[in-house]
Amino acid sequence: MKRIVVLSGKGGTGKTSIVASLALAAAAEGGGLAAVDCDVDAPNLALLFGMGEGDFEEWKGIKASEKAAFDSEKCVHCGKCREICEFSAIEWDEGRRMPGIDRFLCEGCGACGIVCPPGAISIEKVENASIGWGRSKYGFPVATGQLKMGESSSGNVVAEVRKMADAVAGKEGAGHMLIDAAAGISCPVIASVTGTDYGLVVTEPTPPALRDAGRAISLLGHFGVPTGMVLNKWDLNPDFSEKVSEFAERNGVPVLSRIPYDKTFTKAVAKLVPAAELSSELKGMFSGIWEKIR
Amino acid sequence: MRIAVTGGKGGTGKSTVATALAVELGKRHEVVLADADVECPDDHLILSIERKGFADVKLPLPAFDFEKCIKCGKCASTCRYNAIVQVKGKYPIFDPGLCNGCGACMLVCPAGAISRGQRKVGEIFRGEGHGISLFSGEMEVGYEEASPVVNALKEKIPKSEFEIIDTAAGTHCNVISALRGCDYAVAVTEPTPFGAHDLELILRLAAVLGVPAGVVVNRSDLGETGEVNKIAEKHGAEVIAEIPYSKEMLESYSRGEPVAGKGILGIAEMLEAMLK
Repeated sequence: MKRIVVLSGKGGTGKTSIVASLALAAAAEGGGLAAVDCDVDAPNLALLFGMGEGDFEEWKGIKASEKAAFDSEKCVHCGKCREICEFSAIEWDEGRRMPGIDRFLCEGCGACGIVCPPGAISIEKVENASIGWGRSKYGFPVATGQLKMGESSSGNVVAEVRKMADAVAGKEGAGHMLIDAAAGISCPVIASVTGTDYGLVVTEPTPPALRDAGRAISLLGHFGVPTGMVLNKWDLNPDFSEKVSEFAERNGVPVLSRIPYDKTFTKAVAKLVPAAELSSELKGMFSGIWEKIR
Repeated sequence: MRIAVTGGKGGTGKSTVATALAVELGKRHEVVLADADVECPDDHLILSIERKGFADVKLPLPAFDFEKCIKCGKCASTCRYNAIVQVKGKYPIFDPGLCNGCGACMLVCPAGAISRGQRKVGEIFRGEGHGISLFSGEMEVGYEEASPVVNALKEKIPKSEFEIIDTAAGTHCNVISALRGCDYAVAVTEPTPFGAHDLELILRLAAVLGVPAGVVVNRSDLGETGEVNKIAEKHGAEVIAEIPYSKEMLESYSRGEPVAGKGILGIAEMLEAMLK
């Protein structure tokens, strides 16, 4: 199975819209596809395929985060836990001479538990997300997840979503997997890029988008993933689009397609369908991109 | 007063609003703008401000001394991030990309073979322009965790009348770090099903963190604003501005100039009233 990840660095360049339309092109070709939304912070892909809660065959809570848990009866008030914590996640209650765990800062590393003389601190698994998969009306399965608000370890959640997607895709003998990554380049995006065969960077002709595309390209390079670029809304600034192309060429990244600014994308999001379903022109364009990356 | 500009969804115009708001407030107040989208910081490009290195962000990193190592494997079994792998009878293999610098391996090594090194995980830059100070955090490419850079950035910014924190997209750790301790959050969204869906997430996150929030509907003429308004109301957040799509705004953006307009002025006046 070939795994293709779509990322951009900058948010709002059109990753999800492009993944959805590419998925239709892939599905039309046959050969089996699984689509995966790895933007577990703010997932929108299943939404764009028109999927609601009832369309999921499996949906479950997962414990992909760990936090320190503290037993106040065992505490000997030594303060060693606070000294050792690299993340300032232990607050000290001067009055009671007792620690409190700041769960937003705790990384669950366990260093505090190692130094605690009476063993009053343990590491507990915390439910931090829900993940699931369902079948879209286009026939292919879609796996996704949702981080619980205020919880951490989104990279681990992405890894769990991908495990579920791998199992479903494996059972169906899917030939391709399309992965929609989050904005940015940190843990959830790294977890989306790991073990993929191709990275598609979506950008648009503005200086911020180009700079962030550069960071996304560096990330893919860091993990040795072959890379291509799609330049979205290129005609909003044809001059800068030339600069984007030059930048891509200097970095050895082929520009696979220039997609014009097209109100169909906005309409498609409002209607919750992939844009390629509304326009034969876009349909042809996405089939062309799919031919190059499949 | 510390104001976060956030939104959940990417590309709704967070940085456009944050930079414009900072420049507007900077006409009458002392303003620091902190670009806390440390994965992809762009505020300096939007404002054409030249940044200079201000401080490195460093974290501990274990350094292995194989002459002392007794191949016991305790470091590998203690590390909760799989950054240390050990095959029985062999020296441990360390992957710095997965290490968050917690130091647990150093604590359990019976041979004292792991010492405390350091590495750079990001940098804080500083620049001036348009009457404001810009502090911008930038994470090293390939490093996993953005939060330490966000936290370092928030520590470095000088106390000012207005401290505007421009957050990353999403709702995970780096956004949590950016939002914590802010007096108010401006959630920038757009009138689309995606905007509405992600607005609900960010308003829930702000509530979990105890930060009051208001909503800015950007490109308000792009679609029906009903759903976005409903979500704002459901979470007790006021819609503080609607900014229609304008070509002039897009042009200022691509020229590297802050945008201006009635919507931005309205938000600035509301925040000034809050300061009083």
